[in-house]
Amino acid sequence: MSSSSQALEYLEQQPLKTHTKLYEQPSTVLAIFRCMLPHLAKTLVMAMLYMTGPFPADDLDAWFRADGKKDKGKALTVLDRLHIMTTAVAVAVTGARTTTYGLAPRFATSLREALTGGGSHRSFGVPASTTGAERVTVHFLEQYATKQWENILFYMVGSTVGLAGGGEGVGGEVGEGTKALLKMGEFIHIAGRNVRITKKGFEFVLRDTNAQVWSLLIVYLQNAPALGMSETDVLSFLFLLGSLSIGQDYTTSTLSPTQLQMLEDLSAFGIVYRPSSTSPSFYPTRLAVTLTSDSGSLQQRSTTTTTTPKETRGSATEKGFIIIETNYRLYAYTNSLLSIAILSLFTKLTTRFPNLVSGKLTRDSISRAVKLGISSAQIISYLQAHAHPQMMRNTTILPPTVMDQIRLWEYEGERVETTSGYVMKEFESEKEYRDLVEYAESLGVLVWRSDARRCFFVDQIDQIGTYLQRKKK
Amino acid sequence: MNAIDGTDRHIKQEDAPPPSLLSIVLDTNPHAWAHLSSTLPLHACISALLVFINAHLASGNANEVAVIASHTHKAAWLYPTPKGNRPTHSTSNGAIDIDGEEAGRSGIQDNPNKYRPFAMVETDILKNLEKLLAETKETHLSSTPTTLIGGALSLALSYISKSTILASPLDLSTAENPLSSLADSETSHTARVPLTSRILIVSVSGDLANQYIPVMNSIFAAQRKRIPIDILKLAGDTVLLQQASDATGGVYVKPERPEGLLQYLMMAFLPDATARRSLVMPSAGGVDFRAACFCHRKVVDVGYVCSICLSIFCEPNLPDNLCLTCGSYLSLRNAITPAPALIAKKKKKKKKIGGGTDSATPGGTPAGGGTPMHS
Repeated sequence: MSSSSQALEYLEQQPLKTHTKLYEQPSTVLAIFRCMLPHLAKTLVMAMLYMTGPFPADDLDAWFRADGKKDKGKALTVLDRLHIMTTAVAVAVTGARTTTYGLAPRFATSLREALTGGGSHRSFGVPASTTGAERVTVHFLEQYATKQWENILFYMVGSTVGLAGGGEGVGGEVGEGTKALLKMGEFIHIAGRNVRITKKGFEFVLRDTNAQVWSLLIVYLQNAPALGMSETDVLSFLFLLGSLSIGQDYTTSTLSPTQLQMLEDLSAFGIVYRPSSTSPSFYPTRLAVTLTSDSGSLQQRSTTTTTTPKETRGSATEKGFIIIETNYRLYAYTNSLLSIAILSLFTKLTTRFPNLVSGKLTRDSISRAVKLGISSAQIISYLQAHAHPQMMRNTTILPPTVMDQIRLWEYEGERVETTSGYVMKEFESEKEYRDLVEYAESLGVLVWRSDARRCFFVDQIDQIGTYLQRKKK
Repeated sequence: MNAIDGTDRHIKQEDAPPPSLLSIVLDTNPHAWAHLSSTLPLHACISALLVFINAHLASGNANEVAVIASHTHKAAWLYPTPKGNRPTHSTSNGAIDIDGEEAGRSGIQDNPNKYRPFAMVETDILKNLEKLLAETKETHLSSTPTTLIGGALSLALSYISKSTILASPLDLSTAENPLSSLADSETSHTARVPLTSRILIVSVSGDLANQYIPVMNSIFAAQRKRIPIDILKLAGDTVLLQQASDATGGVYVKPERPEGLLQYLMMAFLPDATARRSLVMPSAGGVDFRAACFCHRKVVDVGYVCSICLSIFCEPNLPDNLCLTCGSYLSLRNAITPAPALIAKKKKKKKKIGGGTDSATPGGTPAGGGTPMHS
């Protein structure tokens, strides 16, 4: 699951009221447009943005190729769920019904403002006027963010693999608020002084940094009302952070009380940096500015950081360091305790050198990991995301044999996969069944079908429900 | 158990569309813009283009843009600003840095109402355009009525090719020796080049036949690199650009109402390669494939072709029997034949006389018999 889809899922669950409120801020609208929408949906929105009238559905159909129908359906679904697109049905005198699409006015206005830079919303952050020596360098921010974030990860992983307390500055103290948040998100299980990582926690650790940040922030969002913060405020602030630029400091004077409260929590995560808790300005770190970029930014990040003079010790997460051979041997050029701890979750590590650990992926080590709740897909994606540049040159980044074997080892244990959803059955006629099953397929929600028994299974039902209602009329 | 089959190995790479680089070649020919000033003045076009660029940058997180002005006497970079204050010449293909971040940082006035990357692009484009227009002297204008689209196109192509190399996964050895990565970028990397590029030419000038060779060469280069060339023709009409979009699979739009430029841009030119796969894109329709002759720049149905450089001439009377383009010996007087429709007849005649030794006929032995003599 990529990082933006996580946030998208959360956003889709929000009611119309929240959406309308969110769309008042151009920075939020731009961030949602940039990172949430599927590619075709972006194209659609942009085509309609400066259109003078509504967009007739027939014209829209004509614009798409026959083989693009499925993607079109998906794009329209997302736009509909986020309340970006409105559908209007006009009945002509002849009785012919024409459907037209239009953009939600608030969304359109904000997006236009974001594109042209007009208005006086000041939603892209007001820079503070700090000059000269007081400024913090990008390099420092980079280090600060990495340190804070790795602390959190190490707190989760370290105790499980028995490396806790052995950190050379890595296993630093994690704030109480962060600990509480990790517990609320069921990433860790605290029993007395004993901290154990949960299955969800493993998923968390093995993701790329960007996705990790989002999952933690979503937990934060869900708990925002309990802390007396408005969810909308929190969300729009997060989107604002994503559109700031690194190395620039921004003033806190324009922020709402909720957002000021957030700043404190966010600086504990390493997402923003404040020179002191009463400082009138804050700096977004790399974690913040990539909030609204895709997970693909990980690789890009490694190319941009080459401008910084010296790679820091803890920057192993930013650059590929793992080499895997077809004989399942694994070499990791790292001395970061965190990386070693994570690797040891699913690898039988044998040797450690000053800059290298080596080990082997074995049936035992993988099935042990699977028992802990780590899936093969997670292992593979972790290995892929952190593959050495030398490996990146291959057409499949990891050797195919290794990938297949990891999967096979996992499937030894579990042979049943579950998808939660809805079964649709007892149709009156073959025609009705066909019609609905094809609609479900075009939406991309169809999981399984049986034509003989006239029933099928979908993982999402809202769209089909509205479709059925519309048909009944 | 079937799910173990590793056919889904690539899924992870394909779920997000690849970043796309849009190179815009803006025709800034003052003659043509003066002509257009009643319907679409240059400043209106620039503001529409800026919104379009912002929309493109917003459409993908790693999307990039490059803007090149094709002026009357030179092709100049508008964005990114070439590093250092070297004179920007169409011939300078050297180290133009991709990230103008550092250069632009000092000059930008921070505007809280504007997304910062948008502001940086905008400032650079406006600054460079202003500089270009200020540099233009009357002598430049009076010397030629047309624009240097060929130079601008090759600038765009070289920039694209450089960005593609920079965007593809690098390892340490190639970072040290950029030439080696250049060498195998053709062979090994093509399978997973993560950057898709396209060129958009906003053209207002009509007659481009005097640059037939450079433009055609650029078209072929683009075709080879699979870079679509989109044409937005605001005024004038050239066969050459129609052919460019047709040959490279680009979009060709000639707006009936240039005032609505932004909507044309958003609808027809914004979709990138990924989106175009599922959309019906406008194209030139009936493309005129006729070439322009090099001597009088007339579009000709039947002409004479130099055997060395493939230049086309509408009449056989060349001065000194030398090709006007490449200067090689080319005697067209001998080649004068009756109308081309008659050639078939003539061939038959020849066959009878030569006994079928024409080397082109499949039945004949190519080695036997003399090569058919000219005359």
